[in-house]
Amino acid sequence: MPDQLPEREREDAMGAYLMMFAAVAVALPLPIINLIAAIVYYFTNKNKSPFIHFHSLQSLLAQIPTTLMNWGVLYWGLKIWLFKELSLDQDFWIYVAFVVLFNISYFTFSIVAAIQARKGKMYYFVGIGAYCRNVVFASENNTKYNRGY
Amino acid sequence: MTFNIQRQDQYSRGELLLRTFFGWLYILIPHMIILLFVSIAASILSFLSFWVIMFTGRYPESWFEFQVKFMRWNIRVNASIYNLVDGYPKFGLDHEHEGVEFDVTYPENISRSSVLIRFLFGWLYVIIPHGIVLGLLSIAVVFVNFIGWWAVLFTGSYPKGMFDFQVSFFRWSQRVSLYMAYMTDTYPPFHAEPDGPEDSSERLLDDQV
Repeated sequence: MPDQLPEREREDAMGAYLMMFAAVAVALPLPIINLIAAIVYYFTNKNKSPFIHFHSLQSLLAQIPTTLMNWGVLYWGLKIWLFKELSLDQDFWIYVAFVVLFNISYFTFSIVAAIQARKGKMYYFVGIGAYCRNVVFASENNTKYNRGY
Repeated sequence: MTFNIQRQDQYSRGELLLRTFFGWLYILIPHMIILLFVSIAASILSFLSFWVIMFTGRYPESWFEFQVKFMRWNIRVNASIYNLVDGYPKFGLDHEHEGVEFDVTYPENISRSSVLIRFLFGWLYVIIPHGIVLGLLSIAVVFVNFIGWWAVLFTGSYPKGMFDFQVSFFRWSQRVSLYMAYMTDTYPPFHAEPDGPEDSSERLLDDQV
């Protein structure tokens, strides 16, 4: 199957995972930027092919918990340093450490997924991979894909 | 790269006046608002393309087409604002404007070393030298455009030399943009002549005849 997929299709699937760098690209350290980029990428590419649909959906769903957790750090940090409503305690640092580990995991798995997508292979994230496969491939009607390239 | 703006035989004086006094309202502002968001997407893809090229040696084809369409949109808005074409520039990435031609051949491979050198030293050997020349030319373009405006108002026709000078300026700028956006490996020449016979206004005029 990998060799049968056009290079362009594999590149588009790979691109879905690279949306995690969108915030870096626009130099805005806001967690929401990556999510917006992933959403836009998903909706502009999902009809191209099942392979691209799967990877862009998986990338988008993986982005959601990461974004929420990063927002948590931002919100908590603002409460401590900007609004002075909370004090800096151990709970905050434990949460930060957890979020950092989560981000590193997310980053690593996304890079692996991007490489696999570039090779034309499926790669399933724990928890959401199977769901994405079901959403994309369980449907018997694949005529909606226009391979718009 | 194919870049050309077709000079019309006759220009509408009414449209000229309308664009001059209200162009900012009905052309510039609506287009700029949408293009702002599209340009954010284009910037993100441009940044990511650098890394993709570094690892794969290819500019993703879909992204490349998006960038070309984005540039095409910008060009047709500019052509309209500079009074080089009549008619309202269409909204959207998939549209084209009659008389405005812009296309770039997709390069199968992009040199990673060249891209890296551009990323690190592009400001030195591309931006500064071309920027100085284009900066000076842009001053001339303002004057030429101003004189051209009066010529169109009184004669309904754009003087060919003035028209070609402005088109050449945009062609040159576009070549620099393409090179700095890693969309071509060809260093932009220090002239604005068309790339080949397919990129000449004469061909467009011949086609018309």
